[in-house]
Amino acid sequence: MNRQTKFVAGKADGHRPGVVAGWGALSRYSSALWLFLVLCVVIVAGIVVIHDVRSTGVEAQKMYAGSVLGLRRIGDLQYAAQETRRSTFYALSTKDSNLQVKYADQSREADHLVIEGVSAYLSEAKTPVEMEVGKRLQHDWSAYLSVRDEVLASILEGSTKEAVDLDLKDGVPLFDRVREDLETIERLYDDQAFQRLANVAASSRRTMIRLVGVLGTTLIFAIVSVWAIQRSRMQSAIQLAKLQMEFVASVSHELRTPLTVISSAADNIADGLVEGKEEIKNYGSAIRSQSQQMTELVNEILLFAATKDRKNAYVLRPLKVPDLLDAVLVRTSELVKRAGFTLDVQIDAELPCIVGDMSALSQCLQNLLINAIKYSGSSRWIGVRAFVSDSEVHTGKRVCIAVQDRGIGIQRSELPHIFEPFYRSAAVTAEQIHGTGLGLSLSKTLAEAMGGELSVVSELGVGSIFTLHVQITEELKLSIASAASGANQ
Amino acid sequence: MRRLALLLLILVDAGCVSGAWPYGFVEHDGLPPQGVPSAGESLAIVVNRANAVNNLSTAELRRIFLGARGHWPSGRRITIVMMEPGQPERAAVLRQICQMSENEFSNHFLHGLFTGEVLVSPKILATPLGVRKFVFNVPGAIGYLRISDVDSSVKIVSIDERFPNEKTYPLHVTPPSVK
Repeated sequence: MNRQTKFVAGKADGHRPGVVAGWGALSRYSSALWLFLVLCVVIVAGIVVIHDVRSTGVEAQKMYAGSVLGLRRIGDLQYAAQETRRSTFYALSTKDSNLQVKYADQSREADHLVIEGVSAYLSEAKTPVEMEVGKRLQHDWSAYLSVRDEVLASILEGSTKEAVDLDLKDGVPLFDRVREDLETIERLYDDQAFQRLANVAASSRRTMIRLVGVLGTTLIFAIVSVWAIQRSRMQSAIQLAKLQMEFVASVSHELRTPLTVISSAADNIADGLVEGKEEIKNYGSAIRSQSQQMTELVNEILLFAATKDRKNAYVLRPLKVPDLLDAVLVRTSELVKRAGFTLDVQIDAELPCIVGDMSALSQCLQNLLINAIKYSGSSRWIGVRAFVSDSEVHTGKRVCIAVQDRGIGIQRSELPHIFEPFYRSAAVTAEQIHGTGLGLSLSKTLAEAMGGELSVVSELGVGSIFTLHVQITEELKLSIASAASGANQ
Repeated sequence: MRRLALLLLILVDAGCVSGAWPYGFVEHDGLPPQGVPSAGESLAIVVNRANAVNNLSTAELRRIFLGARGHWPSGRRITIVMMEPGQPERAAVLRQICQMSENEFSNHFLHGLFTGEVLVSPKILATPLGVRKFVFNVPGAIGYLRISDVDSSVKIVSIDERFPNEKTYPLHVTPPSVK
């Protein structure tokens, strides 16, 4: 059985047909799937863009807080330092001690601002360079203030010349050093601001590129998605229309053949061409046979239509497998006998009861038997076997009822499609084997409605085995019990 | 005998009123007697906190406020800080330290500056706050403030080892009602 292929209706088993079947299932949910994927891409893109925008914002805030405010503080410090010096010399412009004291106060207020500013700078300094410059400024400012105090004292004492000399000798050089320190800090802030501005610009550029890229990708993805969805729908519609056309043609053909026989027989009888009781009996038998064939065809179509709507209408009850098989074999015995087939029925002893609707399971197995008769070719042997199996796919045991033929077999590429409604393979059509393409689809639907499944193993030219897997009573009880406990939790 | 007792009583009473008797009543008719510490607020002599001087005698204080002494022991120049004429603090210093009237004080400095005996005239400040700030800013400054105007920015020096919170402190601001 190396070349045999197993296929479970509606499931992929890892082989190529399974993959094809997987795509078939995928195409059914393609709209939702593609939309979900597009949504995911848009969400991811949104998260990335939001992250980038936030990074840029944070960088801009850092630039403002760190550099722009820093430059502003340094500007204030420079002004306060100048004010300290300016107010000191305002005191020189008057002999009024009251005014001189007022100017001294202004000078001291300004120098306090400088001291506080330098302390704030030092507390926020992060790099060694900033720390070094900050400490140097603190030291230089302190040195200048000691000279300023002397100058102020001299001015207040009335020793103008002494004040000016002291300032020229010590005050000016020390104040120059303070000014240089402040300029150094200003340069540091400038450098930081330029660096952060460059970071913000780079971040903005990166965000823009990502945004455009992501939007572009999303757009392309959306276009492809829409195209794929439309294409899938169109193909489905075309395929359905094709299948329906084939079905109509097939049904017409299936109806026309018995109708032609019936019509011809009726014409011959009406025209008086049939003479004798025996001949009339033969004509009646032919008309009855063809009518029965038409009735069965119509019934099959009606049953297929009905199964789409009567999912919950089945009466599930414990069934004995021998009883089920007996019912099926009785219903098909005439057909089997007429076709000259030998049935090899093997039922394992002590099979457990199965769960299902008697009528539905009978119909399912009957379809399998009729198919075996139809596609057995020159072979006149059909094997029916019932046994218990431990399924690899499902937990627990199941009863399997296999219908085997030694007929024409099924091509590997066609296995995924044989359970589709109205599907008929090209080879079968070419060999003029009549059918509607509904039998297997109907059987599959019925098997699944019983909580079971239908699988096939086939090899071209060797034969096929269709197996119905049905739940046993104990397993059903267990699954009901586990479902109930899950609901309680 | 009765006449002798009455005479003694009159003499004792007269001594108390004139202040010659130190253990008698210090108040009479609600007014403090002349020559004893008044009931006004103490006037503190303040210097810069960097000044090492902690005590001055009344005589030294008089020499300083009259410009006769120009430098502190540290060598730093003494800068006298006075309040404007008419202020009670200034009047108290003139009367109790300089023992001069306003005119005498002015004439003293005019004469001293003219003759070169005094090098720098006193700095005149309008308010106690101005005095305090001036003293704070000038290491060699000396001024005076009501005790309620003094804060930690300046240093109080004792006069004859007595501080303003002591009973025998000699310098007080005369209340406006006391003439």
